[in-house]
Amino acid sequence: MDSTTQILTVLILLITMVLVVIITQFARRRRSLYVLRPLPAYRLIPTAIGESIEANRPVHISLGAAGLGGFETLTALAAAELAYQAASRAIIGGVSPIVTISDPTALPLAQDTLRRAAAARGLLKSGAARDARWYPAGSSGLAFAAALSGMLPDDRVAASILVGSFGTELALIAETSARRGQRLIAGTDTLQGQAVAYVMADAPLIGEEIYMAGAYLGDSAVQMAGAVVQDILRWLLILAIFVPTALAVGDAILNGRFSAALARLLGGG
Amino acid sequence: MRRIRSAIVSSVAIGFGLLTLVGLLLGENGGILYAVTNIFLQVAAITLAFSVVIGVINLFRVHGSRLARRKGGWFYSLVLLLSALTAITLIGLERMGYLGGRPSPSAQLLETAQISIESALGGLVLFALVYGAFRYMRNGISWSGVGFTAALLFFLLGALPLPQFQALAVVREWLLAVPVSAGARGILLGIALAITVAGVRVLIGQDRSYRE
Repeated sequence: MDSTTQILTVLILLITMVLVVIITQFARRRRSLYVLRPLPAYRLIPTAIGESIEANRPVHISLGAAGLGGFETLTALAAAELAYQAASRAIIGGVSPIVTISDPTALPLAQDTLRRAAAARGLLKSGAARDARWYPAGSSGLAFAAALSGMLPDDRVAASILVGSFGTELALIAETSARRGQRLIAGTDTLQGQAVAYVMADAPLIGEEIYMAGAYLGDSAVQMAGAVVQDILRWLLILAIFVPTALAVGDAILNGRFSAALARLLGGG
Repeated sequence: MRRIRSAIVSSVAIGFGLLTLVGLLLGENGGILYAVTNIFLQVAAITLAFSVVIGVINLFRVHGSRLARRKGGWFYSLVLLLSALTAITLIGLERMGYLGGRPSPSAQLLETAQISIESALGGLVLFALVYGAFRYMRNGISWSGVGFTAALLFFLLGALPLPQFQALAVVREWLLAVPVSAGARGILLGIALAITVAGVRVLIGQDRSYRE
């Protein structure tokens, strides 16, 4: 890593850290300060869980190939947060939610997520929420998709929430869900998987939306602050891209007079 | 007591996280900090390697239970358990030197069974995608649906190697290079921002796993 990249990395991390700390304090004092735009997937999740409880059928939550210790660590943590929010709602029904993963490093995370969801509802001793399953993925994730395609009808799943790391193999799982009339909410960190989810899921989660589960489904100020910081950083990024682009275009049209005029306006030159 | 335990866990996690981050940022210039970071990473890798053992135990527990209770799909569980046992036995015998040859029996099993099955599944993905595109429009005609289908047909026609579609191919290449590429980068930048925020929240101990 060269020194410029190091400095930029530290700068971005520091800005994010300061924003997270400050905005968490604001969010704790006034929760109504920031209103999140509605996302169909996060509106559908509680409905789908409610329907599965009424039908006495399980909800299936999958983290896909997201695991700990690699590039997908934070995707796995974000998916686990969504799994926690969904499982803590679904666990009050008679049937335990099923959490599936294809990366074995995510298995302790999945088990712990279910345990915490049960603890949050006071159902830890009842033995509910032990259904975390590892299905080995093979080289391409297709074996995992095939395993889930078999599991969905066998376990009479009512709704699937696939959030984590999936590629085009998502199409096989989505096709099974559609054939069985099961609801499907899907979001992934790969572009190919997102393209499939957009077409085949009842409600897709696109891009960074999978990282905002806590803010939408939970009631914690900390999670809300994370969503706000994400938006602030997005605006900063838009400015960082827009300003140099506007300068370059302005200079190209006005033969360099645009940046000279700006420099005079700001007290330079 | 629970709060104290939570505070200790958070402090340890934050301390190790920050040390590793600084060590990785400084690289070899970090001296002893870089060496310590490498040790942390090795410990993490060894710990994660054990998760495969946990995974295998989980596999046997889940499918053994399905088999014992004759739950729906128990026959698939039986096939899975037998396959897993065969693979483990083969690899064990190879490691102990009882089985040999090139390619090894386990590699042969992988190539003849798993790769051919995955190839067949790969072919099925195409049909699932076509069904998905069909279903997307069947649920109701919308502007986004019409746009999606038009773009799909346009890209498929543009990919045909026929001289009649040369103009379409040029437009297709421009679309891929400019708007599609820009959109994809926008999505990836959004994911990168979200990952940065999530990473910082983990580093400063705001993640749920530290709080509960």
